Amino acid sequence: MLRAENVTLSYGAEPVLEGASLSIEAGQFVSLVGPSGSGKSSLLRAIMGLQEISDGRIETPLQSTDIGILFQDDALLPWRTAIENVSLGLRLNGRDRGRAVAEAEAWLERLGLTGLGRRYPRELSGGQRKRVALAQVLALKPRLLLMDEPFASLDAIVRARVTQDVVNLVESEGIGVLLVTHDLEEAIALSDVVYLLSNGPHAHISQRYSVPIPRPRNLVKSRSHPTFAPLYERLWSDLSDVVDGPRRIRTAA
Amino acid sequence: MKVFDRIWLRQLLALTIALVLWEAAGRAGWLNPLYAPAPSRIGFALIDLFIQGNIWPHVEATFGAALGGLVLGIAVGVALGAAAALVPFIAELLEPVMMMLNAVPRVVLAPLCVIWFGIGLGSKVALAFVLVAVLVFFTVYTGIKQVDRRLVERVRTLGGGRWTVLREVYLPFVTAWIMGNLKVAVGFAFTGAVVGEFVGASRGLGYLLSFAQSTYNAALMLALVFLIMAFVLAIFGAAGRLEKRLLRWR
Repeated sequence: MLRAENVTLSYGAEPVLEGASLSIEAGQFVSLVGPSGSGKSSLLRAIMGLQEISDGRIETPLQSTDIGILFQDDALLPWRTAIENVSLGLRLNGRDRGRAVAEAEAWLERLGLTGLGRRYPRELSGGQRKRVALAQVLALKPRLLLMDEPFASLDAIVRARVTQDVVNLVESEGIGVLLVTHDLEEAIALSDVVYLLSNGPHAHISQRYSVPIPRPRNLVKSRSHPTFAPLYERLWSDLSDVVDGPRRIRTAA
Repeated sequence: MKVFDRIWLRQLLALTIALVLWEAAGRAGWLNPLYAPAPSRIGFALIDLFIQGNIWPHVEATFGAALGGLVLGIAVGVALGAAAALVPFIAELLEPVMMMLNAVPRVVLAPLCVIWFGIGLGSKVALAFVLVAVLVFFTVYTGIKQVDRRLVERVRTLGGGRWTVLREVYLPFVTAWIMGNLKVAVGFAFTGAVVGEFVGASRGLGYLLSFAQSTYNAALMLALVFLIMAFVLAIFGAAGRLEKRLLRWR
């Protein structure tokens, strides 16, 4: 579905991310974890076409309309109601106004926002705004969904509920996902594959982990799967090596 | 008392007390009526203007000039501000000119406007226009530059092109900025019209002010000042309602 080969991303002369290769298959949930400044978000933006790559290539048979992105901020148009925000993408992709509104209403209902369609974003809670943003992206029926820590700003309970909704939806629709997160538990509980990035600048993909937890997933039960704890410990240890590595060398010297 | 919990009622009470004290001071002979006539005299001067009916051509002239300058100033300010924000070359040319116009108190251009456009309506519209256009230019120029990039990216990733981004992001964003400054623009437009009339005119509230000054008629001057204040406050009210309606998403 998507293959990135030896991708290098730079701000100025110095590469932030260097020679990164990864692939996402249809219906596969892939996470990118790593320290801040390792170029995770930049890679996501490059896949979406919002940022130029300095070297390497990103190959996909998908059209740009087949790829959806959820940012850390919900980025809803504040002057549009929830239903107008969701129907905007549909209208931009050829639906007439009536059909776009009907589809938008159906998506809001599916995400538990029945009766809130006429509200402006400021009249919605953080969790409700995230659901509107999710409806806005999923209404376009993307085959690949890119998510840049989309639920980081939510409180723990709302976050767990919205995340479970996302998992249910991507599993039922067979959507491929690339998630950027700092949360190792979240990465393992959600993903089929986790990539660990090293420290930037000149960050690279240092490890790839397969997560053998079966689907459909329940985010609470996934955490009690026998493979979860060992994988979490390994990932945490590798991440600590990546973050503290240079310091350890200095101490040894 | 519960009625005095309302702010406007407390403000009205304070105003009434001030007027009563002013009137009492006037009647007691503590104030020279040549410089500070009592409120009742100002009120009679005001009523007189309306009873005689002479005021209406002057009100019409001032409103015509102010609203003409306001509409033209907004149209040109929006066009130039948007062009400067979107085309760097235009910004290089326009920014220094607008900075210079902004640096000088623009009412000093009033005599020049009279020389260029005569003592008729044109010179007043021109002065109101300059005052408003510079304000709106900077409002739009700054507004467009501060448009939230995340919203632009969001519309692009939903499949929107350049025009969609302009319609869905820039236009509402800039409208909000303009609406936020509309009251200031209305004030500027009336300042331009009245000052223009004050410098050289045969009609208008500014002309009447100039006439009252030359005849040492302080009661008429203050009546006109209160009248202009009332008109501008009424327009502020209308602008506020429009702002509330257009920006109900805030």
